[in-house]
Amino acid sequence: MTHTSIALAEELAGIVGERFVRTRPTELLTFAADGLPTHRAVPACVVFPGSASEVSAVLARLHARGTPFVARGAGTGLSGGALAEAPAVLVTLTRMGRILAVDAPNRRAVVEPGVVNATLAREAARVGLHYAPDPSSQSACTIGGNVAENAGGPHCLKYGVTTNHILALEVVRADGERVHLGSASGEPWGPDLAGLFVGSEGTFGVATAITVRLVPVPPTVRTILADFTALRAAGEAVSRIIAEGIVPAALEMMDRSAIGIVESSVYAAGYPTDAAAVLLVECDGREGAVAADIARAEAICREAGAGTVRAARTAAERERLWQGRKKAFGAMGRISADLLVQDATVPRSALPDVLERVAEIGRRHALRVTNVFHAGDGNLHPNLSFDAADPDELARVAVASREIMEVCVAAGGTITGEHGVGVDKKKYMDLVFGPDDLALMDAVRGAFDPSGLANPGKVIPDGAARPWGPWSPA
Amino acid sequence: MTAAFAGLDACVHCGFCLPACPTYEATLDESDSPRGRIVLMRALERGEAPADDDALSWHLDRCLGCRACESVCPSGVSYGPAIEEARARIVAVRPNPPAVTAGLWVLARPARQRLAWWASRLARATGIPAALARGAGDKAPLLLQMFAMLAATTPSRRRTGTPTHRSRGRERPDRHAPGGTEATAAPAPDTTAALFRGCVMDGLFGHVHDATIRALGVNGVRAVEVRRQVCCGALAAHGGRPDLARTLARENVLAFDAAAPGVPIVTNSAGCGAALKAYGEWLADDPLAERAHAFAARVRDVSEVLVERGLVRPGRLPLRVAYDAPCHLHHAQRVTTQPLDILAAIPGLELVPLEGADRCCGSAGLYSLVEPELSRDVLAPKLRAIAVSGADVVATGNPGCLMQIGAGALLAGMEVEVRHPVELLDLAYRQ
Ligand SMILES: Cc1cc2nc3c(=O)[nH]c(=O)nc-3n(C[C@H](O)[C@H](O)[C@H](O)COP(=O)(O)OP(=O)(O)OC[C@H]3O[C@@H](n4cnc5c(N)ncnc54)[C@H](O)[C@@H]3O)c2cc1C
Ligand code: SF4
Ligand code: SF4
Repeated sequence: MTHTSIALAEELAGIVGERFVRTRPTELLTFAADGLPTHRAVPACVVFPGSASEVSAVLARLHARGTPFVARGAGTGLSGGALAEAPAVLVTLTRMGRILAVDAPNRRAVVEPGVVNATLAREAARVGLHYAPDPSSQSACTIGGNVAENAGGPHCLKYGVTTNHILALEVVRADGERVHLGSASGEPWGPDLAGLFVGSEGTFGVATAITVRLVPVPPTVRTILADFTALRAAGEAVSRIIAEGIVPAALEMMDRSAIGIVESSVYAAGYPTDAAAVLLVECDGREGAVAADIARAEAICREAGAGTVRAARTAAERERLWQGRKKAFGAMGRISADLLVQDATVPRSALPDVLERVAEIGRRHALRVTNVFHAGDGNLHPNLSFDAADPDELARVAVASREIMEVCVAAGGTITGEHGVGVDKKKYMDLVFGPDDLALMDAVRGAFDPSGLANPGKVIPDGAARPWGPWSPA
Repeated sequence: MTAAFAGLDACVHCGFCLPACPTYEATLDESDSPRGRIVLMRALERGEAPADDDALSWHLDRCLGCRACESVCPSGVSYGPAIEEARARIVAVRPNPPAVTAGLWVLARPARQRLAWWASRLARATGIPAALARGAGDKAPLLLQMFAMLAATTPSRRRTGTPTHRSRGRERPDRHAPGGTEATAAPAPDTTAALFRGCVMDGLFGHVHDATIRALGVNGVRAVEVRRQVCCGALAAHGGRPDLARTLARENVLAFDAAAPGVPIVTNSAGCGAALKAYGEWLADDPLAERAHAFAARVRDVSEVLVERGLVRPGRLPLRVAYDAPCHLHHAQRVTTQPLDILAAIPGLELVPLEGADRCCGSAGLYSLVEPELSRDVLAPKLRAIAVSGADVVATGNPGCLMQIGAGALLAGMEVEVRHPVELLDLAYRQ
């Protein structure tokens, strides 16, 4: 460790206490990756503030020294967003895990950023309410990370993604100043600054208190599992369900590879392993409407060629079906430890074609592709399995990934649905954004953080944004 | 033995194991999480971190070995063998603290243990350790904590009474006349099982062995005693001494094969059971490998044996009982329902839910003595959940857990009693 970093660690220890600063090189290794370990960066040190005022003091200190920092929640991100490269300091928020208030009559809660998504969901359920955004990683990921990535989840199809559930934020800016965005009680005046912060991937500052919207638990929930002998048929069923105006609570797809992986894990849910794909369709709301929607969805699945359609008979059975789906990505290690997950969105009408094109790309590059994704949102997650020790395969993965992105963009889609850009998707930004777009993004970021110390090097490709001016040069 | 590390290859870094890990729950530090420790072990394997690295051993030593991470891992990462291998490599370059070394030395030979257990029972019988520890609080000095653990092994309790009919002053009943002599409806035994006695179990929990023998007897299983058996070696394996663990394993294989060839081996200690069931892997490269595999395949937890046979109906026991699953039964052996089945079969016994019943209590072998502070932090939520449950009795089938939870309750001045599920079953048979 250099002298400056020793001095810095001591200063930070003065704020948060010695126990909550990590500097030993070996322990820093454990913070070198998030949920996408193909990217790695080792921070100068890790600091665990315990309160908003400690965050503020830490950032002010770093600002005074001109030291960059990166916020981190649970480190389940899938785009390398929470990686900090020395001299950057990692500000880990897991200790800030208190639920500050659950206001049942007004259907909202105030939480610290380190609260785990599933913990908030459980606490809300105690008062008959529900926190709707449910990323598959919800048992581990934090609300702070969800805000930063504008996380989605299976049930965001009907209820909307994280941004639709954030009412207000307390944010510590890169210079340590605490600001309040949005309003807990109704629409604030002026532009939606809280909305602007959601999805900023840690580049605008650190969220230290988050006011979320809670929704009532729906009176009726029905879930069916339909299996198909062709991936295309499943894709067509999705397009038709959406086209008919049915708004399922969730509509998810898993292909044969994903089914096999889940069925060999502790989360085996009884999915048919001989199917080419399954769809999980869930509807919720009032009894009559739900029954009608589920019946219609089932009929559409059958018309599209579904073999069997099975309904979850009990809450436990439904939970099992969902656990299998949600743990699928974590079970990918059963086929290979190295994998890359893509996160493109496409218009739902394009799903059948895009799925076929992706499969074709996989075949051409001799790569195993596993699909498990939010079909109702058109949010694809093709997983490419590979062996990082094989340079040839690694090269094929890079080419295939780009081709997949190009196919999605050409179909009218975009390069990330919910995992964010981080470092991993920066290379695809040019597929959807020109220098002007990037310049505007850079300017907005500069408005929140003129110092550029918050999560540097993420989201905007280096040197791609032209300097921002009121209009483009002709 | 890098094969042990190969079990980590499936890790995709998803983080699903974080919320299951009791040490991560206590510190919220990635380095104290399963995923973080896997990174550390990989660094050790690749030589990126030396085995004598302070930070490496600090975080790996704080692992409870509870294997809750394995139960939730979608990719099926095999964590347990890897952490034992890592410990062995660390201990090879930085020996255990003297207390652990001494403890393992004593446990290695039955003759060395005898005096220790005798003295402990004597001290326990005075009632002084219990009196000093009661209500002393969880910050009490280590000596009082140890007193509390000793007191937690006391056979007689207020709520559940002293069920055992034993020769006074001796922990062991007459080894040659086991079986359900007092049980009202004891059928003639139609099968036998060899009782694994263990070290701590035999030294301080003889009353649980007695209860086990009687309960098996009621259900038609005659317990066979195997002389020359030794400690299972689990504490040695967790303590980075696989050499010692293997020596003990070999002795046990020979002893059981000699005295009770082919007979099922029954244990009432979750920690021992997990170790005994792993003998095949421990001795994979040993001339005894084949016999070790066969031995491991014969091992059953007492709850498995009883439920497999279909329980003889017990008498009434009007108690509110919370079941706490020992990690080495629940996560390592994946025996999850049988102890609950046994408790549910007792008329009058009300099973109350215990939040976090499948989470470690922080005992973990010698852990509570080596890492007292973190052990206490891990125990704290357990004690809170027990208080909330309103249980009269906590049932758990492992000596470490009986002592850890029992001691915690005693230090906190809680009323609750902590007993082995088989003790309750035995009690119910004797109503
Ligand atoms: C198995 C698995 C399944 C997943 N499924 C989904 C899914 O269904 N939907 C989905 O959207 N995502 C999913 N993800 C991705 C990931 O879980 C989400 O992006 C999640 O929101 C990240 O939360 P985290 O706490 O782990 O954040 P981290 O990974 O620690 O950080 C993510 C980003 O947020 C920033 N950040 C963290 N906390 C704060 C804060 N308080 N203030 C400001 N910035 C902050 C970091 O700097 C970083 O840029 C999945 C991941 C895995 C491993
Ligand atoms: S749950 Fe399994 S695959 Fe995921 S990080 Fe933990 S050990 Fe690795
Ligand atoms: S064995 Fe237990 S303490 Fe150790 S890493 Fe796994 S869950 Fe955590």
